[in-house]
Amino acid sequence: MSLPGLDLAQTSVETEFTPAPPTQVSLARGSEWRFEVAHGTTVRVKLLAGTAELFGTELAASQTYTFSGTKAAIYTWHGCTLEISAGDTIDGLVNGGATATATGTSTGFPGLGGPTRGYGAGGCQSEYVAEETPMVEYANVHFALETLRQEAKATGKDGPRVLIVGPENAGKTSVAKILTAYATKMERQPLVVNVDPTEGMLSVPGTLTATAFRTMIDVEEGWGNSPMSGPSPVPVKLPLVYFYPSQNPLENEGALYRPVLSRLALSVTGRMAEDEDVRETGIIVDTPGVLGHGRPGSLEVINHIVTEFSITTILVLGSERLYSSMLKSYDNKPTSSASAAASDERISVIKLPKSGGCVDRDAAFMKGVREAAIRSYFFGNPIPSTASTALSLSSASSTTNITLSPHAQQLDFNSMAVYNVAGAEDEDEDDYDPSQLESLLPGGGINDYPGTQSQPEESTSTPVLPGTTPTPVPAPTTPYDPAATTTTSTTPSPNENNEPPLKKLPPPFPTTMANSLLAVTHAPPTASPSEVRDASIMGFLYVADVDVEKGKIRVLAPMGGRVPPKAAVWGRRWPGEVVGLVG
Amino acid sequence: MSGLASDEVAEDYKNSLEDLTTNDRFQISNLTVIAKENTEHAMAISRVLENHIRTTPPTQKLPALYVVDSIVKNVGTPYTLFLGRNMYQTFMNAYTLVDSQTRRKLDEMLKTWKEPVPGSLDTRPVFPPDITRGIESALIKARTAALQQQQARSHQEIRTRSRVATPPNWTNSPTMLQNARHYPSNGQAPGYQSMENSYPLRFTPTPQQSQDVDLAALNRDIESLIAAARGEFTNNPLDPSVQQRLKALLDLQGILQRQELTQEQLRLVRDQVSALGPKPVLPTTQAVPPIPAVPTPAMAAAPAQPLSQSFQQLLNPGTLAGLIKATAARQQPTPPPANSMPQMPTGNSTTQPAAASTPENPLVAALRARGLLPGSSAPSTAPTPSIPPAFPFIVPGQVRFTPPVQAPQAMSTSENSMDVQMNTASIKIPRHGLITSLYEAKSNRCGTCGRRFFATEEGKEKKARHLDWHFKTNQRMADAAKRAQNRSWYVDERDWIKSREVGDDQSLADAETSGDSVAGADGSSAKKGPPKQWIHAPNDATLRNTPCPICQEKFESTWSEEVQDWIWQDAAKVGNRVFHASCYSEVTKDGPGPADGNTPIGRTSTPDSVLGKRKAEGTDSPGHHVRVKMEPV
Repeated sequence: MSLPGLDLAQTSVETEFTPAPPTQVSLARGSEWRFEVAHGTTVRVKLLAGTAELFGTELAASQTYTFSGTKAAIYTWHGCTLEISAGDTIDGLVNGGATATATGTSTGFPGLGGPTRGYGAGGCQSEYVAEETPMVEYANVHFALETLRQEAKATGKDGPRVLIVGPENAGKTSVAKILTAYATKMERQPLVVNVDPTEGMLSVPGTLTATAFRTMIDVEEGWGNSPMSGPSPVPVKLPLVYFYPSQNPLENEGALYRPVLSRLALSVTGRMAEDEDVRETGIIVDTPGVLGHGRPGSLEVINHIVTEFSITTILVLGSERLYSSMLKSYDNKPTSSASAAASDERISVIKLPKSGGCVDRDAAFMKGVREAAIRSYFFGNPIPSTASTALSLSSASSTTNITLSPHAQQLDFNSMAVYNVAGAEDEDEDDYDPSQLESLLPGGGINDYPGTQSQPEESTSTPVLPGTTPTPVPAPTTPYDPAATTTTSTTPSPNENNEPPLKKLPPPFPTTMANSLLAVTHAPPTASPSEVRDASIMGFLYVADVDVEKGKIRVLAPMGGRVPPKAAVWGRRWPGEVVGLVG
Repeated sequence: MSGLASDEVAEDYKNSLEDLTTNDRFQISNLTVIAKENTEHAMAISRVLENHIRTTPPTQKLPALYVVDSIVKNVGTPYTLFLGRNMYQTFMNAYTLVDSQTRRKLDEMLKTWKEPVPGSLDTRPVFPPDITRGIESALIKARTAALQQQQARSHQEIRTRSRVATPPNWTNSPTMLQNARHYPSNGQAPGYQSMENSYPLRFTPTPQQSQDVDLAALNRDIESLIAAARGEFTNNPLDPSVQQRLKALLDLQGILQRQELTQEQLRLVRDQVSALGPKPVLPTTQAVPPIPAVPTPAMAAAPAQPLSQSFQQLLNPGTLAGLIKATAARQQPTPPPANSMPQMPTGNSTTQPAAASTPENPLVAALRARGLLPGSSAPSTAPTPSIPPAFPFIVPGQVRFTPPVQAPQAMSTSENSMDVQMNTASIKIPRHGLITSLYEAKSNRCGTCGRRFFATEEGKEKKARHLDWHFKTNQRMADAAKRAQNRSWYVDERDWIKSREVGDDQSLADAETSGDSVAGADGSSAKKGPPKQWIHAPNDATLRNTPCPICQEKFESTWSEEVQDWIWQDAAKVGNRVFHASCYSEVTKDGPGPADGNTPIGRTSTPDSVLGKRKAEGTDSPGHHVRVKMEPV
């Protein structure tokens, strides 16, 4: 099993680095400072004069912001002076090892090796000032949306629903952040939907989320933090999370992606209907870059999103071809919202310039981002953030970073109901023959279970006692036999037969489950695969170890206490292996 | 000079100018270089500059004028030519709207315009003398008037008003003469003096041109004005300008009814009425002031013509009615006297060739009288610290020099209209004015996180709550650092749909509950949602071993961080006996309901609702490894 960028560790070299003295960067109005910070190193930025914003979120003056593992830009509308200095290097054990709970968990960065510092100001890998930015356009989009929101408020209509599409590294998420930040600045509450499984929003990669933003986006930490037991210097955001255990939404022709998307849209619509502030402000949907290439299947998925979320505005970034096809398909067409016919609501397609600051984030960097996201889900933010805690009463500012203490525990194979994706690309010895899987139509139609093999179910679940092994039975009723798992699925052809996207994984669990994530859903363990597929999730377990002999797995749970008895989905291929989260 | 290219250059230049908000040497020299490199588009650039100076907010006029200064000094022709054409309007427009400090800077700049470019071989002044002279004489007049008025005001309020109404009068006053003595230093004395002297002359001819005054119409007009003023007075009883105006109108009415006035006086009165002037008491008694200086007939002839034009314009019955209506609607508190208005431009015309401005007077007067430049708005559009805002005489000055519509309009568009079309073309247009809605509109900043608040009372309140939030959070973080924290489970769909985002600017009580419900989501806090009941675990051993009388289960002691003591969760003391709170409420509230508690267990699917809805019979409280009274399922 190989993931791109898995060999990141080998590339990094331990370098002697003496921190450079703080550098001052002066920005003229309308320019931005673009910088890249490697994983494992930190750069501190302080706004000395003027105004500055990072993806729309304004920086406070004289506060130190610490960045790590990021490629970002600080823009100024009015001109500003920044002070850049090198921060601490995050070494392996800084986060978690010291504060591990009684279970003895500890962490390290074995996968990362020594952090590499760049030679830019403050140890940035790259940093420069750019004068050409598309910020005027981006701001105008915000003002245009604001116009629509005012109209929505006046007329009682729904606010604008924005879809951002474009290829990878075109700045889609940055635009989403800018629009979100500006909207919250105007005291609105945009509902931000991330349907990009390659990058999480307020969660780990592999999740599709929806979150209403009322408070400002965390400058240092991507989108911010989901709720924790303790306080957070930047208000936490409350995401609704669905798990999509694959990197590619187009996989299986979207057979797994689309139902999850529909479910997410349903919840979002429900929230819109009840939450007045959110309704007026509308939705901002950030999409995966893979949809931006106009590949077969991707237009269908885009169409699915446009329909499900009743999109009113499509922003196309960085692809003429996509723009033209969007223009053709959607511009000035009525939206899919229920009231569209009455209100004559029409879709507008806007082409946005791609920022010159967009850089390709290579596989290694993305893997770093992914690992950092998973790490921070369990262990919190390892970076001492002085900016957010300047008013802190405690003398020791080093304690003000949020360190979370996950709980390690052992779980019995039989107590778990783990589902796995039946993908086409499975080639390991652990892969299962798709022809042996239960048949499940993408819409959640037929669920066959042992004991009821001959009787097609209603669409809902069959009660299966926890602990028993429901054997998936496809049309030829062959019980699953681990010994018989010869790989026959090297081609995607079986998927064309509406193969089930999820199947239950019977014990004993394969050892490859180690170092990967289990998504704990809100569905009961007895739920049908389609229910499990559509269920939102409670969180993640990190499988540290699989003990086949004892029939137990050792997991890291975000919090102590019994792991809720829920169906879990194995994120085997995505978000994939994270080595060394638990020592 | 193709039109398109010129347009483009102009558009670019305009955009660059819009970025110029402060006196930034770099930007100004940059703009000068651009102008230098585009002399073939000098006309377009000059026009852009003029427009920009006219429309830009007062605080940004000085840098823009410095650009003009820099261009004419460093580039010279053809800019001197193009910019010189309208320099009088451009300069005076700016001058009237800026504060006194900026005015001083403008004065200094103007001074340099009368001299050759420093370091240049060319001995000619920066601008032709006729241009600078025109501006200067106008400035001197305005200054004189202001000073005179100030002094007069300090002496006697009523007399001041009367003098305003009778401009010829003030040429008499000693202050006037004093001021006049300063003028020779500016090299303008002869022109100025003759100009001053010409006033009486101009007034002498005007009566001859006047038509008969319809007394009845005049009375009607006054009555309607009084009615309007009364209405205003009831709305704004404390506004001195309204009081003053009402009184003035009543006085005027009295005068008209009591006294026989000459046609000339009546005409003056009507002029006053047409402009809703302050109490014109003295015109009736001091209608013909003494002439202080020797008239210069040659000069007098020129002003007479435009003056009569403007009067005719004003005396047009349609205009009068329109003015009354417009001004009544606009609630113009202290409009300037109409007849004083045309004097200064005519004065200018006598001294310098920039008479172009004179024919504008009727139009400008009409604009002003229609409430576009009411006295009340004067302080805001023209901060003139050295001059009292209610000072009526400065208003005519403003009227003359300002196309008054533009400045206020430019400001209001930048603030209010958020009307941006969602299409690819529209979003390319830079809208710097709208950026202020993200920044300057909210000037009150949180020092910790940079959040902005409105500088209003409401904004202050919000900020105070926001700072409270920071304070509380930091306290809690200091506390939390001592114990382990962890990530909460995500909520399920239902809870998410029902949830509402909590801000960091809500009142403390709200923040209390919201903070706990979000941040304390793992249930480590004992005060969630419907307050969980607990009691201190009794020290007495027998009591400690007494089970709940209802379910016969023993209580379990747990250590509470908050109370710093052993407690019994989900327990309530009723009388002398301790019950499980949930048992007790089952029995008491639900009456004869099933004692084993058939509470819906569906809710347990959200073990850690952030909404604080978690029931006591939920799953384990993860923070505490406490088994809280599990329901038999």
